[in-house]
Amino acid sequence: MKLPSLRLPSRVGWRDHVVGAGLALVYVAWLLAGARSLGFPRDEGVYFAAGSSYFRWWHALFERGREMLQPGAIDAAFSVNSEHPPLMKTLFGASEWLLHEKWHVFADASTAFRLPGMLTAGLAIWVTYLFGARAWSRRAGVVAAILFALMPRVFFNAHLACFDVPITAMWTLCVYVHWRAQEKRTWGWAIALGVTYGLCLATKHNAWFLPAVLVPHALFVQRHEIWRALRAGRVSIPASIVTMFTVGPLVLYALWPRLWNDAIGGLQFWAKFMLNHEYYNIEFLGKNYFGPPSPKGYLPVMVLATVPTITILLFLAGAIDRLGVGVRRMRAWTLHLVHRDPHGISNRARSAGDPPRDPLETDLLLALAFCVAIGPFFLSKTPIFGGTKHWMPAYPVLALLAGRGFDLVASAMHRALPSLDDAKRQLAETVLFGCVLVAPLAETAHSHPFGLSAYVPLVGGTAGGADMGLNRQFWGFTTQTAAEEYLNPRAPRGATVFVDDTTWTAWSHMQEEGRVRGDLRVVGAPAEAMLSLVQHELHMNEVDYDIWIADGSDAPVYVVTHDDVPIVSIYGRR
Amino acid sequence: MSAIPLSRLQRWAFAIVPAVGLVELVAHVAQTRPAATEADWAASRAWVLANAKPEDLIAFAPKWIDPVGRMRFGDDVATLEREARPDETRFPRAIEVGIHGAHLAAFDGWHKSGSQRFGGVTVTTWENPSAARVLSDLVSMIDPRHAHVFRGDAECTWTHSHPESGGLGYGPAVPGDRFACPGGGFAGMSVVADLDYVPHRCIYAPPSSGPLRIRFDGVRFGHELHGHHAIYVEAERMKTGAPVTLSFSSGGASIGSIVHRDGDGWKPFELDTSQLDGQTGELTVEVSAPNGDRRQYCFEADTR
Repeated sequence: MKLPSLRLPSRVGWRDHVVGAGLALVYVAWLLAGARSLGFPRDEGVYFAAGSSYFRWWHALFERGREMLQPGAIDAAFSVNSEHPPLMKTLFGASEWLLHEKWHVFADASTAFRLPGMLTAGLAIWVTYLFGARAWSRRAGVVAAILFALMPRVFFNAHLACFDVPITAMWTLCVYVHWRAQEKRTWGWAIALGVTYGLCLATKHNAWFLPAVLVPHALFVQRHEIWRALRAGRVSIPASIVTMFTVGPLVLYALWPRLWNDAIGGLQFWAKFMLNHEYYNIEFLGKNYFGPPSPKGYLPVMVLATVPTITILLFLAGAIDRLGVGVRRMRAWTLHLVHRDPHGISNRARSAGDPPRDPLETDLLLALAFCVAIGPFFLSKTPIFGGTKHWMPAYPVLALLAGRGFDLVASAMHRALPSLDDAKRQLAETVLFGCVLVAPLAETAHSHPFGLSAYVPLVGGTAGGADMGLNRQFWGFTTQTAAEEYLNPRAPRGATVFVDDTTWTAWSHMQEEGRVRGDLRVVGAPAEAMLSLVQHELHMNEVDYDIWIADGSDAPVYVVTHDDVPIVSIYGRR
Repeated sequence: MSAIPLSRLQRWAFAIVPAVGLVELVAHVAQTRPAATEADWAASRAWVLANAKPEDLIAFAPKWIDPVGRMRFGDDVATLEREARPDETRFPRAIEVGIHGAHLAAFDGWHKSGSQRFGGVTVTTWENPSAARVLSDLVSMIDPRHAHVFRGDAECTWTHSHPESGGLGYGPAVPGDRFACPGGGFAGMSVVADLDYVPHRCIYAPPSSGPLRIRFDGVRFGHELHGHHAIYVEAERMKTGAPVTLSFSSGGASIGSIVHRDGDGWKPFELDTSQLDGQTGELTVEVSAPNGDRRQYCFEADTR
């Protein structure tokens, strides 16, 4: 009996969705497996509360109807964390209510709260695969999706009920849907883009920058139609641009009941909050930054220090290739201009040396999506306290170009080994695949649950990051590891604990879920505590020194470390 | 030796990618191995305990390993005087306990007189070529046996109370043992985080409720008064606070004044006391500021 062939048809189709979904599923399962070992950062506690509040309002709306539409009822529910749009928080709350409270799928409420964020990580992987498969090859798509997943900072953030991975997914989905809309030119795809952009707006304010990617790209792709219409006395606007600016805001409005009372006021508050965001402390190259000007080198250094080097190398290979294509196009176009081609660039005959035409201008789209995502971080007024998470929407593009780079390397390998038969060629490619993925896999797996402390081998790993004076963590989530390693097994019964950067909300969530012993009592100052914690960040040193005086000793009773680097010090009152 | 044809190099250039991938993996494995075991730390501590003198500096390298060093060595070795030192000038010798082959830049220019390895821990001994001889250290004298503190004409009383501290933004901890002034104000030994978040043991004497005067008795004078002063990092980093003036006098005669302005950080100073050299007597220090708002001020000084 002959088994049916597993070879996929050349046309990208539903089977590729299965591949993308499969990759996403594996990643979400991996995230779920590690969820309980990762403590709660400051923001998560707020988003847990906001999520419950938002979802309970929607639930009440369906139960009690018009009563819940009273402005007071809406404000009461949506005033919690009103500086961020509601989509993910509503999903966090829905997931917790359904999967923890109602159906008991997850024993931990936090895992249910976190699931929607994890699913968006899967979505980002899925879309990255599809994008790569359609743009270049399935091989490029698979490599891109996996290299994106195997960035330690992405892996860390993908666990959280926060917005940074969700906006990365929505940004990527938006760019992808827009790209497809340019190909299909149907109202269906245009409306899909409008809806996606609305979801993006309802996820995080990074969406404000997306028009800077999509509008110029659409205008460039459809330049001939626009020009022809103008010559005919008409104005032709790409349908996708129309839907983005009409359907998109409507979706945001529909999802954010806070705007129903006072749309202008709500939007103004959102914009003002983000444009005048507070600067938090963060260390970079041994210096504590707490306000503008932000260092211009922050983004490049942090990317090099946190993204696996092999990924960067493949990205450079792919980017140089695409840049080369662009340069060749520009040169050909310039030559024709110089020689005053009477037919113009659009009608000229193609010469053998010209790069292949891409009517979708994929390179331009990816370049815009990448540059717009990272661009604000070269401005001196942009706060840098978020570390790498705030420019994460650029990472799927980085990974896509790395996938393209892998394609080039694999092709070069096959050219170098022409005598191999099919089986050996396949084996060689598998080995190459393994060589490329094994380091990112090892680094990502090893980084958990210290994803913000981990740095890549290029800078010497976690210890190298500490040597360079790079930030080791923020948000106080490592208190859970301190509890696992010291507080739970060794703290005296009923001990008072000063938890420093960990919020009391996060602490109580950890106690509710049995991550921290329930008898331990949190207090607000080292002088009141039997045990005091310091999560090591440069600006937290002052708390360390306060404890020395409060406890009468500068020697911790225990230090949580990652690759020798102190993460949390625990002091005990003598 | 024959040259490799370029086309052959080009042909195999792809191999750079898997090679980089594997090198990255090997580097990751190497970098994630623990640098030192508990036994290494214990052995190095035993050696330091056997060989260190009270006047030696004991320091950990790289700087970030300091919490582990303090935990492994304990506060009898990693004392506050060593950990929160004003600078290194007073130490005739330093014993540096390091991992990863790290050394502290503070010992550049010192003479290396020995090195021992205990597994992953290296203990290096450095001799200070120009160590200063400290005669009196004011920070160690801020107690009722050696000092009197006044706010205006009112004398502040020595109290033994609970220390006061807080979380981020609180400022230096208020020590339990301190001179507490009627109507507010205090002076006592604490540790300040300077503008670079480095710890310094110092006399915490905020002039928030008016000028503070501290009279030290039995001070042995040398040729100079050497010291530093700072304001708690979060109180001085915005550079909006009033300057703080530190004035020294003895027997009614002024020795000198130094002004600390926001942004100065852990600012060193030296005042000439050659006229008092060899004498033992009273030294009065006054801390004042035109506006006491968030003047979480700390100073240290010694005679040498």
